[in-house]
Amino acid sequence: MEKRVKRGKLEIMRDIIFIIREHKNLIKPTPLLRKSNLSSTRFQEYFSELKDKGFVRETEEKKNKFVSLTDKGFKFLERYQTIIGFIDEFEL
Amino acid sequence: MFLTFLVQLKINNLVYKQGGLEIHKSLKDLSLVIFIKMGPQLPIGSFLAGGIGVELIYSFIIIVCGLMIYFSTKEMDKLTSYEGIKYFRLSFLFFALAYFFRYFIQFFLFSFNLKGILEFSPMFFGAISLLIFLYFSSMALFFLLYSVVWKKWDHSRLTITLFNLFSLIIAFASIFIGGRLIYLIINLILLLIVLSILVIAHKNSKKKPKTGSPFIIYLLLSIFWILNITDVLIPKFLSIYQLFVYLVSIALFMIILYKVLKKTGN
Repeated sequence: MEKRVKRGKLEIMRDIIFIIREHKNLIKPTPLLRKSNLSSTRFQEYFSELKDKGFVRETEEKKNKFVSLTDKGFKFLERYQTIIGFIDEFEL
Repeated sequence: MFLTFLVQLKINNLVYKQGGLEIHKSLKDLSLVIFIKMGPQLPIGSFLAGGIGVELIYSFIIIVCGLMIYFSTKEMDKLTSYEGIKYFRLSFLFFALAYFFRYFIQFFLFSFNLKGILEFSPMFFGAISLLIFLYFSSMALFFLLYSVVWKKWDHSRLTITLFNLFSLIIAFASIFIGGRLIYLIINLILLLIVLSILVIAHKNSKKKPKTGSPFIIYLLLSIFWILNITDVLIPKFLSIYQLFVYLVSIALFMIILYKVLKKTGN
């Protein structure tokens, strides 16, 4: 059986941002939690961090909450490979 | 006609007293620039001719490389808040600051006619800049190490406090205890700490070694940086190899800068 490698913090952040983008930049928190493959506590931790960093924003439409990406969130996704390449190169 | 002289003194086995401040023997190897002012302005050419030119160029290159590495990784650090990137860039900022305090402050004071400060107490000024240089140098090395091993060390706040403490001990011990043997012992201890942490981190690394692994560069950078510190504390000790130490240090900084710029896409 193939052993699953534990995702790092940056990878989890990338995954959450990626899911939002794949849903035409508008997704409800519950499906986002489900698709991110995290426990609700861990999801809340990462989601709060993403909000604090200004990568995602929450909006409300007709009493429904939606999550979407900010420009900074798009930039993170765009720069993700470069960042990972840099971390690997210098063994950081 | 007004004349300005630059006198560079190497103080050997003397204890100087100036303005009620006793200058300890540990400062005996510190090159001091004493100004005998007979005129209004000292041309920069004289400053460079004073034997400081090569070291000034060397310092300038190290500062530029350090700052370029620091600023080119700023965006990544802001986007990720990744600890490894944070300590890596802080390390190079501290390398730059160390060399800024080593030579450029003296240079600026010289160039912008702020000689009064040096005239007031040149030895005190030299000791302060040496103290800051040693503190920043040690911090730079510790941060470089920490950027590699931070995942394995849980208590980051405690570690940073210990780094600060060790750096302060190294700086103050070098200034106030003094003596060549003490300088060599301090640098040897620093080198042993740095090397053992680097070797252990590399051995425990799960990643497969690849060509151009930064481990060798970090190792060499640590060794040559400690030689730089030795060169400042005991100028005669490495005088024959001084240029070689400078050239290798510059080459290592250039390699790291090249890799950083290539990877960040700047």
